[in-house]
Amino acid sequence: MREITLTINGESYTREVHEHRTLLHFLRDDLGLTGTKEGCGAGECGACTIIMNGAAVNSCLVLAAEANGSVLETIEGAAKDGTLSALQSAFHEHHAVQCGFCTPGMVMSATDLLRRNPNPSRDEIIDGIEGNFCRCTGYEQIIEAILAASKEGKSHA
Amino acid sequence: MLEAIPADQLKHVGKKTDRIDSKAKLTGQATYVSDMTLPGMLYARVLTSPHARARIVSIDTAKAEAIPGVRAIVVGDELDYRLGLYVVDKAILAKGEVRHYGEAVAAVAADTLEIAEQGVEAIEVVYEELEPVLHPLKALEADAPLVHPDLSDYSYMEAAFTPQPGTNVANHTKLRKGDTAKAFEECEWIIERRYTNPSVQHVPMETHVAIVQWGHDDEVTIWSSAQSPFTLRNLFCTAFGMSHQKVRVIVPYVGGGFGGKAGIGIEPLVAVLSRKAGGRAVKLTATREQEFSLLPCRSQLTYNIKTGIREDGRILAQELTMYWDSGAYADYAVNVTRASGYSAGGPYDIPNAKVDAYTIYTNKPFGTAYRGFGHVEFFWGLERHMDLVAEAIGMEPLEFRLKNTLGPGSTTLTGEKITANTGNITKCLQTAAEAIGYRKLTSKEKAREKETGLKIGKAVVGLHKAPAMPPFTATTVILKMNEDGSVTANLSLVDYGQGTYTAVQQIVAERLGFDVSQVKVAFESDTDRDPYDWQTVASKGLLLSGNAAILAAEDLLKNAHEVAAQALRAQAVDLAHDNEKIFVRHHPESAVTFAQLAIGYAFPNGNSIGGPLVGVGRYIAQGLTHLDKETGQGLPAIDWTYGAHGLTVEVDRETGEYNVLKVVSVFDVGKVINPDEVRGQAIGGMLQGLGTATCEGYIYNEQGRLLNPSFTDNKIPTARDLPLEVDAIAIETPQIDGPYGARGVGEHSMIGVAAALGNAIQHATKAELTHMPIRYEDVWRALQKREPVDNWITKSPYGSCRSAPEIIKHDC
Amino acid sequence: MLHEFSYVSPSSMDELLTFLEESGERSTVFSGGTDLFVTIRSGLSRPDFVVDLKGVKELGLLTFDPAEGLSIGACVTVNQLIEDTDVLRHYSVLRDAGSELATFQLRNRATVVGNVVTASPCGDMSSPLLCLGARVKLASAGGEREMPLGEFITGVKRTQIAPNEIVRAITVPIDHLDAVGGYKKLKRIKGHDLGVVAVAMITANDVSRFAISSAAPTPVLLPDFPANVEVAEVQKAAQEAISPISDVRCTKEYRSFMVDVFIRRLMEAA
Repeated sequence: MREITLTINGESYTREVHEHRTLLHFLRDDLGLTGTKEGCGAGECGACTIIMNGAAVNSCLVLAAEANGSVLETIEGAAKDGTLSALQSAFHEHHAVQCGFCTPGMVMSATDLLRRNPNPSRDEIIDGIEGNFCRCTGYEQIIEAILAASKEGKSHA
Repeated sequence: MLEAIPADQLKHVGKKTDRIDSKAKLTGQATYVSDMTLPGMLYARVLTSPHARARIVSIDTAKAEAIPGVRAIVVGDELDYRLGLYVVDKAILAKGEVRHYGEAVAAVAADTLEIAEQGVEAIEVVYEELEPVLHPLKALEADAPLVHPDLSDYSYMEAAFTPQPGTNVANHTKLRKGDTAKAFEECEWIIERRYTNPSVQHVPMETHVAIVQWGHDDEVTIWSSAQSPFTLRNLFCTAFGMSHQKVRVIVPYVGGGFGGKAGIGIEPLVAVLSRKAGGRAVKLTATREQEFSLLPCRSQLTYNIKTGIREDGRILAQELTMYWDSGAYADYAVNVTRASGYSAGGPYDIPNAKVDAYTIYTNKPFGTAYRGFGHVEFFWGLERHMDLVAEAIGMEPLEFRLKNTLGPGSTTLTGEKITANTGNITKCLQTAAEAIGYRKLTSKEKAREKETGLKIGKAVVGLHKAPAMPPFTATTVILKMNEDGSVTANLSLVDYGQGTYTAVQQIVAERLGFDVSQVKVAFESDTDRDPYDWQTVASKGLLLSGNAAILAAEDLLKNAHEVAAQALRAQAVDLAHDNEKIFVRHHPESAVTFAQLAIGYAFPNGNSIGGPLVGVGRYIAQGLTHLDKETGQGLPAIDWTYGAHGLTVEVDRETGEYNVLKVVSVFDVGKVINPDEVRGQAIGGMLQGLGTATCEGYIYNEQGRLLNPSFTDNKIPTARDLPLEVDAIAIETPQIDGPYGARGVGEHSMIGVAAALGNAIQHATKAELTHMPIRYEDVWRALQKREPVDNWITKSPYGSCRSAPEIIKHDC
Repeated sequence: MLHEFSYVSPSSMDELLTFLEESGERSTVFSGGTDLFVTIRSGLSRPDFVVDLKGVKELGLLTFDPAEGLSIGACVTVNQLIEDTDVLRHYSVLRDAGSELATFQLRNRATVVGNVVTASPCGDMSSPLLCLGARVKLASAGGEREMPLGEFITGVKRTQIAPNEIVRAITVPIDHLDAVGGYKKLKRIKGHDLGVVAVAMITANDVSRFAISSAAPTPVLLPDFPANVEVAEVQKAAQEAISPISDVRCTKEYRSFMVDVFIRRLMEAA
């Protein structure tokens, strides 16, 4: 066991963690932040995508122990004060959600993408979410939602 | 149930409406079974078979039992239960013999997942390997080992299926229409070919997961990521010989199903662990790898089609033979076989037909329902065949199809008469053709060919499917009015992403005359509290539950109006309502609000009438029959949804690499309830179909070991794999007994995509492909006229990826 | 992870190397974990200690010096590499190959050195690094050593690294600075996939170099060619050098065929 302190969605947490525990399981099982999903456990599907120190990562392949001192963003922090982010709203409006299991990881990848590239082309959006499997939607409405969110971001700028 | 309301007077049906579940899912607040823990809950792991077929000589659990924190271990010999919906052929854990790679042999429940895994690793199993039977055609041979020597002891649904004890045939669906032998004599051409496809995994993003608590006094509670709470409960109770009121099934949000979570799955195994652990709740989450082999897949199919064509291009006769490889257990595959059998000719008018569809046991992971229920598989062969026949007889493929489509006056293979309201396949085909500019290349496409050196090909294919379900399939919707006059709908159809609950919300709001914001459709289905629904399968949810929702709304209004008539001292016939109140038509100021009526109306002096308002809508499939076992004649289809895909591809004629440029999918949905959801179903299913078409499939070695049970070697489409351009178009030929004229479209989008790709590649390059998926290498081999590669069972002469077979032409 | 291990995070090179010296084969080092944690999860690897290199700051350095060339520290991620302007300018083939590796979020963790040390025949980074004449710098408590990348990888998932040793960095000399070239990779889908077969090529100073992945137990570097070499000559040399197998991903015939196609495409584009 080892003690770690980290910041998740702006709040500080200090916990004893098993050293073999993945960050994903720490979030889900130790902290009850179950919004982040596990789809394969092997870094292929992207369902566990979170933003760690400003970079999107597969949390199933990160150890909780490594994350000591990190700043994490998960789906639970995407909406602020009960209001969906522009990206979440766009997903809602474009019916970019079906079963919803890939959705948290997808939103986190797209959030990271729009930070790096506020006005991505369709092709750049596809690059940004290529690491997130979705078995339901066929991606089209997700791509449309991200495009809409990026334009909206621009018009608000 | 068609409500003949002009489209411009509809307030909610057909209008853009938000999904009711997307905010919960977008914020991570939607809770799936995989997210749940219960007090004192144990974690389970499963020991699975490394062999395709082996005798279990011994299982020693002593070392596992000695591990601190291991609370329960179960093995097959201690469990005397059998599971199944149609053919009851599966034990909870392998008994005596393992029948497929990945089959569950033992399971451990422990305080932590880590300890459970240590327990599984400490179990010692001695196997005596036996020769597996891997290919369905081999399994039919007289000396083939029997996968189920005890087949004669199994119970099954006798009205529909025909297991053949002493063989590996779990079912033989027969259909005879007209006289094919006589018709073939009148044919100008007879063309016969064989088409194949491997097993495929559903890949729901949430793997199978269940929590079960076998409580005091045999009260069992099951939380499961499942499609069908009531059928799950029914099969569970049947297997364990328990009263239905003892067992409660709860299904919260579900992370995808696609058929793989229909029926019953890992729940009985988790239940016996909980029972053995003294009633502590136990959770089992399938790993992604287990999802491929412990859990079921889609069956492999070998499809032989022999078609006779008259001089003018009319199909006169077809002999259709399907060999469905069910794998080790055929419970569900028998019904895939049956549903595909009666649908086997596609949306075409076949006056003389002979269908023989066999469900065959082999020593492989077992097949179950998968979006399309057999149609994705056989439409690969059928629509490839339509193109190859057209080419062989010198007709343009779309013209050939249009000449043979079903229409008013024609009859289906089972003898059902097609009417003007059945749907319009001709219009679907024509619309798809138009949408991709089927007949020639645009100037842009010509320029692209010139620039890339790649050859562009286009294809249009047709499709149809009816819900595959028992003739007595039924559902209920209950509407409860809340104190403020809003309503809550309860139903046990499960919305695991399709969006049906949003459609039900729109339908209820439409029929009540309420705003959609006044109607809640409650997520989480609970067999103790919600009314019955058979299963969430077969694209039947919208039609059956939609109708039940209309009936529930009408019942609620009738009940409300009755109380209002007393409250207002008016005749019920003189009352009308809006979304807030019921009023007297000729004295609108004489009114009572729904809020005043919701839990019973109280007069000013305290006298009260009515009581809490509910509306009940029950609906059962109308007029369906079992099929005659010898002729297959009867009425199996509550509705037929027709559709077509137009597909444009560019192919590198040197390497076989290709890019799908455009897919337009067209469906006759009767009536669009929610345009965005129709689009989501259409495009989502199309890409899933493209996955099947391009890259997905089980690969075994000669010992029957599955070689690609993970995302490393079983790829599924990513965003990068979406065609450059996609679109979906709805045709609306109202279904007379559909809610507001609607019919289902959940599965149809996946059907026919593979054939559209194969045909378009052939149009571009002349590569003749008869096996899917179509990998670049397969196209290359077909173009090179090389021996087709066979790695679906490596180094076996069977199950091959036959990319360049000969056309068998019969002299006439 | 269901396999229990201890996490060790040394903060200096000394501490790291001493620990490895003492723990020997009971330890496995990692930085991104994108390979190690997959193999631990599948039961293929069961270390007692997983040793995080990221605490050793010097291992995170990516440096370029016009005289010395490029040095890629053990903890430099693939995304760091492919976003680096010096890499883009002087070693564009690394960018070409790196951007084909897995997914964006995986590349945020996966390291260039890790991709090489894993020594998978289908790794994306080894063949372009071979073309560029990369060298491997190893360190242990006993000292440092250095060898050409081609000697370092000895077989499928086998290298010359000792249990007490780490790869400190991979260096790329200036011999092929500003080379033009590219990386062609056969995948089973359009999206992320490991390389079913891949070819890297560079041309600089009138010399063309080719390396091939997933076509032999180790990545194969072909002999140098003059830049004006005929396509057929390179193809002939390639076919002699590779020994592809048939597996669930592809047959050896198609692998061989696509090697020729990729060589031609790379040469035509150059």
